[in-house]
Amino acid sequence: MTKETKERRTPLPRVIWQSVFRNPIPETDLERSSTSFTNFFLHVHPVKVNKHTLRPSYTLGLGLMSLFLFLILIVTGILLMFYYVPSTTQAYDRMLDLRGAVAFGIFLRNMHRWSAHGMVAIVFLHLCRVFLTGAYKKPREFNWVIGVVLLLLTLFMSFTGYLLPWDQLAFWAITVGTSIAGYAPLIGKQMQFVLLGDTSVGQEALLRFYVLHVAVLPAILVLGIAIHFWRIRKDGGLSRPERPRPSSTSSTSSTPLRVFGLQGFVRSSFTKVGNTPDESVYTWPNLLIAELFVFILTVSLILVVSLLFNAPLEQPVNVMHPPNPAKAPWYFLGLQEMVSYSAFWGGIGIPGAMVAVLLAVPYLDRNPLGVGKWFAKERLLANTLFVTLVVLNVIFIIIGTFFRGPNWTFVSPF
Amino acid sequence: MATALHRPQETPGADEHVGRRKLLAWLSSVGLFGSAVLAALSDVIFFKPRVTYGQPQTFQIGKPEDYPPGVRIAREAERICIVREANKVAVISTTCTHLGCSVSISDTGFACPCHGSRYDQDGTVTGGPAPKALAWYKVSVAPNGELEVDKNTQIQPGTYLTV
Repeated sequence: MTKETKERRTPLPRVIWQSVFRNPIPETDLERSSTSFTNFFLHVHPVKVNKHTLRPSYTLGLGLMSLFLFLILIVTGILLMFYYVPSTTQAYDRMLDLRGAVAFGIFLRNMHRWSAHGMVAIVFLHLCRVFLTGAYKKPREFNWVIGVVLLLLTLFMSFTGYLLPWDQLAFWAITVGTSIAGYAPLIGKQMQFVLLGDTSVGQEALLRFYVLHVAVLPAILVLGIAIHFWRIRKDGGLSRPERPRPSSTSSTSSTPLRVFGLQGFVRSSFTKVGNTPDESVYTWPNLLIAELFVFILTVSLILVVSLLFNAPLEQPVNVMHPPNPAKAPWYFLGLQEMVSYSAFWGGIGIPGAMVAVLLAVPYLDRNPLGVGKWFAKERLLANTLFVTLVVLNVIFIIIGTFFRGPNWTFVSPF
Repeated sequence: MATALHRPQETPGADEHVGRRKLLAWLSSVGLFGSAVLAALSDVIFFKPRVTYGQPQTFQIGKPEDYPPGVRIAREAERICIVREANKVAVISTTCTHLGCSVSISDTGFACPCHGSRYDQDGTVTGGPAPKALAWYKVSVAPNGELEVDKNTQIQPGTYLTV
């Protein structure tokens, strides 16, 4: 072996590194382009993203935040499963054990509870963002529908998780919640019986809710999120205002732009140069840094809140004495307030109509204008209607949370 | 027989092939879709329990003498209220007809702590969101002389058992 070849041989650690990570840490545009192609975890990303996508004031990072909260929920949820038993005689004791007998038990439960509340709030705010920026318009109509389904799944996840501590709040909130299901026309009573596995909330209901909460719903949610993300890519990235296409004179202007098309390196190491200039930047590092920032922000927030506040745990279930007033979690209190006027209209009729309208939004509003900016003038009517609906719901939640006392009578919190 | 990728040549009998193929495609679609519907239906059957492990719907609550005339006793575990007037006995549900909370006995009848429904002594709605009166359950005297309540059978409110 000559001296020359010996020098050129790659050192073993580097060989191993290269065998694991197919792409070097990018230094050139070509390497930046191929990062997301060669890495399993990055390949959900496009090679380049539009600059508009990266503006924090446009997305507020809400979609990503929802995803990261869901990831926190999966991790803490799996850890909690190691110590939880879905049994009416043991569940509550296990909650107490989390406080005293399990290392980090109370902290994990706090993280799980606050992330769950956070996820409901953030997913809803994400829906508001998408509506108020007109982002559901062609070709993103169906991704909006998937998004609404994901919101409903998030609420159902939270509802099923609510029963598991088997405390007073859990028992009576689920008793009320499943009774609302019983008001659905025709199949209501049957649905309630199948959901509970019995005529009232008990061991069967606890087991059913547990399986739904830890296996069935997460699986559906993961699938739905995967489709949601895939559709973002396939529908052309995040929504943005339409830009006038550059005229032929501008594309031949002084500074030549080097833009690499996707097809350029699918089969070869060469890149195509001279595509239409666009407003995009490389995913590595621009988008990845933005994602990392949102991730760190979300995790730190949850950690701080979990250190400061303990998740509530009420008295163990007492079938004979409902707490007075028996209140659902805050995001269902608007529903409970409406239910106090009429069980059918408040619990089934109006919420059902609202969900139906939400699902149909992209097919009702087919005006193509006003996409990609907040509160676009062209969307004044749609935005006003939407904001009114949101404000009404928030008012109901506030009344249910602060203005209702024993026997659901009106009380002043001041 | 031409493969699915290549359209059959325009030969005599080609129309016949297409017709047969369409029929087969149609039949298999119906078969597949039907199987999916059946599978979904079997899920529903699977999830509907055939036995329940909770409280029995029919149970005995003791002898009529245990309930002296004029008392109204709530048996909270069974969610019923036993009403004894002179020689008559009735059993009224204490499950609120609104959303299933437990109503408690009040001076005027029953009151629900969850959404403020109120009922009179006979369980008729006097206020709040409850849509209908509290149920009256069938009560009978079992061969061993004890009162037997059947929560599966509702009777006309105001119907008493004479003991």
